[in-house]
Amino acid sequence: MEDDYKPLLGSEQTGESYSNRGSTDSLDRVTDFKAKRPFHVEPRNIVGDDPQERVSAEAAILNSRVHYYSRLTGSSDRLLSPPNHVIPRPEEIYIYSPLGMAFKVTGSDASSRNPSIITIFAIWNTMMGTSILSIPWGIKQSGFTLGILILIFTGLLMLYCCYIVLKSPKAIPYVDTSDWEFPDVCRYYFGKFGQWSSLVFSMVSLIGAMVVYWVLMSNFLYNTGQFIYNYAHNVNVSDSEYGTNGSDKVICPFARNDAANHTHGTVDLGGGGNGTTDFSSFEHWWSKTNTIPLYLIILLLPLLCFRSASFFARFTFLGTISVIYLISLVTYKAIRLGFHLEFHWFDSTKLFVPEFRLLFPQLTGVLTLAFFIHNCIITLMKSNKHQENNVRDLSVAYLLVGLTYLYVGVLIFAAFPSPPLSKECIEPNFLDNFPSSDVMVFVARTCLLFQMITVYPLLGYLVRVQMMGQLFGNHYPSFCHVLLLNIIIVGAGVLMAKFYPNIGSIIRFSGATCGLALVFIFPALVHMISLKRQGALSWPSAVFHTFLILLGIANLVAQFFM
Amino acid sequence: QSSTANNLEGVLLMGKSGSGKTSMRSIIFANYIARDTRRLGATIDVEHSHVRFLGNLVLNLWDCGGQDTFMENYFTSQRDNIFRNVEVLIYVFDVESRELEKDMHYYQSCLEAILQNSPDAKVFCLVHKMDLVQEDQRDLIFKEREEDLKRLSRPLACTCFRTSIWDETLYKAWSSIVYQLIPNVQQLETNLRNFAQIIEADEVLLFERATFLVISHYQCKEQRDAHRFEKISNIIKQFKLSCSKLAASFQSMEVRNSNFAAFIDVFTSNTYVMVIMSDPSIPSAATLINIRNARKHFEKLERVDGPKHSLHMRMR
Repeated sequence: MEDDYKPLLGSEQTGESYSNRGSTDSLDRVTDFKAKRPFHVEPRNIVGDDPQERVSAEAAILNSRVHYYSRLTGSSDRLLSPPNHVIPRPEEIYIYSPLGMAFKVTGSDASSRNPSIITIFAIWNTMMGTSILSIPWGIKQSGFTLGILILIFTGLLMLYCCYIVLKSPKAIPYVDTSDWEFPDVCRYYFGKFGQWSSLVFSMVSLIGAMVVYWVLMSNFLYNTGQFIYNYAHNVNVSDSEYGTNGSDKVICPFARNDAANHTHGTVDLGGGGNGTTDFSSFEHWWSKTNTIPLYLIILLLPLLCFRSASFFARFTFLGTISVIYLISLVTYKAIRLGFHLEFHWFDSTKLFVPEFRLLFPQLTGVLTLAFFIHNCIITLMKSNKHQENNVRDLSVAYLLVGLTYLYVGVLIFAAFPSPPLSKECIEPNFLDNFPSSDVMVFVARTCLLFQMITVYPLLGYLVRVQMMGQLFGNHYPSFCHVLLLNIIIVGAGVLMAKFYPNIGSIIRFSGATCGLALVFIFPALVHMISLKRQGALSWPSAVFHTFLILLGIANLVAQFFM
Repeated sequence: QSSTANNLEGVLLMGKSGSGKTSMRSIIFANYIARDTRRLGATIDVEHSHVRFLGNLVLNLWDCGGQDTFMENYFTSQRDNIFRNVEVLIYVFDVESRELEKDMHYYQSCLEAILQNSPDAKVFCLVHKMDLVQEDQRDLIFKEREEDLKRLSRPLACTCFRTSIWDETLYKAWSSIVYQLIPNVQQLETNLRNFAQIIEADEVLLFERATFLVISHYQCKEQRDAHRFEKISNIIKQFKLSCSKLAASFQSMEVRNSNFAAFIDVFTSNTYVMVIMSDPSIPSAATLINIRNARKHFEKLERVDGPKHSLHMRMR
């Protein structure tokens, strides 16, 4: 028992120090001192090479307060947590050793933070979606010059909205928002309504993406199968499709006599009109809209029902490879095909489209989804090592994404062989403009097919986690719940693939819808309210943000009319 | 009601809902705040407050103003009960409040009730959450508020403090308040100095029992740490919280190393004493005997002043 009373420091104090245990008797009986030995460390093990730092008086007393206040509330309660303006800067934070020496903190978990370049790449990778396939079509719909201008303008606008989304948790006082995402911010400002509506709109973007994926997967699977079949049976179907002649064939899948016609493609691709029974039965069983969407169910529905999606997260590199391959493919095609540009400013000709068209809202709708990352930007930026560079890194990421889209869009549009074909032929999925016999494009389609098969369950997992989490509080309430949700999602995809496989329209509608809430309305409102609460809302700022909201509404409304 | 029954007097802690009263009480009196007691509505129940200090003072918290009509009516109908037998009114203002007019209006109605029911009460105003104001503006803003409050409080005299739970101002403000509530505090201080000099202590502190706020202290030489009182208070309150988990109560403590010895012990019915001796050769027994003898003397001092305290001397 003598050992329990050894002092922390210095020479042994025997005898008289411990003779008056009488004063501590009442405590003896109640606490078991053996169980609560104080630290006793040999001094020689503690003193290191680091110079001894003197803790400032303010830091010491703040430490004392934080210790004490933390005893007064529950561990998860933030009521008496020190607010940010009270905590010293990281350079002034020390770690106490029990013997009174203090060491400076050498950067909080530097190991889990990424340098800027990794963060920029992560944002680029996440934003690069299948909308890249629709950019040439979007530029065609709005006119070449107007399309480029709109791409730049929309990119800047969405960058600004992303910036205010990123800033929004930090403007909230008294609350620890370190693990908040944008829906939590909406819940703080708008209550349950904010939480639910931001969830619903987030779902719109996710489910929209999943439907697009289904349509594209059907498309790519069809073309892949067609290529393999034609290759195996040595069938040459190049004459049956309307397109250019020569080695770098570009086709116009829905041959139109009228260049100004902008019907949406619900024409069933009948393919060749050859009469052999082999073909027709193959066509019968291998149809882009009739049968393939159903075959995919067999493959993907079971994958959707997996409890955890971490297996699929390993394959994100496929997306990067696909995009890089697409860029090289586009470059190659442009080199081979050459540029075919003619500038007709407001009138459309047989082969070319005007530079400025009234259909430009279709491009803005597509771009709203193409530049959409607002529902997860806070999480992505959290792991940035130098947080003060967040704005710069975000801008660089948006610049890179914009350049990638611009590059692909402009090159495909410019290289589209206009003397035989009309620019109007550019498809919402520009790979459709290449025949299924094209080897490079076949590789692209296969890459994208694999990538989508691995991303589709990830998206399904995100939808499931958010919906089940909000509705039932449990990510996997039961197999039946999850199966029902998956059937609904898959069903939507199959129906769209069968009856309305125009990915340009799906992308622009879902983009404009989810953009309305998560890009324009909520961020602008949140920003204005937080400024107002700080008393810093000026008239120009209020007008500008209201204008943003109106733009978002106009974007959605225009999708229905244009 | 319960106040008058036991000859207890009330200390009212009032202020708008959300001005920080519950946090303040929790910090000063070392009460645990359970998460679900942080209610969305107003503080309604007060009679069952167990926070007692300085013998016969009961701390009562009330939310004043800014709630629904139910609370308004309840407050108005209970006014006489609330404001009767009040020794101290502590009114908390949130410095960030955007409704200054309303706050002043409620404050004035409280003052009216005080004038009617307990005209001898002492009034203190705390301008709270000052950490949210930029440092260079704090003095200015506090001076403005103080002038307004002093003007509004006439004919009552109010003492104003600026406070924040994140610096030493809260502790100092409450220490000042408690200092003014101790009967015959100057005599206590003189005797404390004599006591310290007799036993050759480096420093002697006198704490209020419930809150461990330093009422008075004597030091024979300059001490380096200006925040030591608050630190000791925090440490002991944490220790008390731990003790209460074991259904034990804190009575005394001795801390010693080769350079000093510190003794914390019960002193009078309202106070604790802390004696710091920097001469480690003096045996503990000697100091403890000295403290025990001094205790008797100080208790006599307390008993002499004010019959209203005498009933509650033996409560502990």
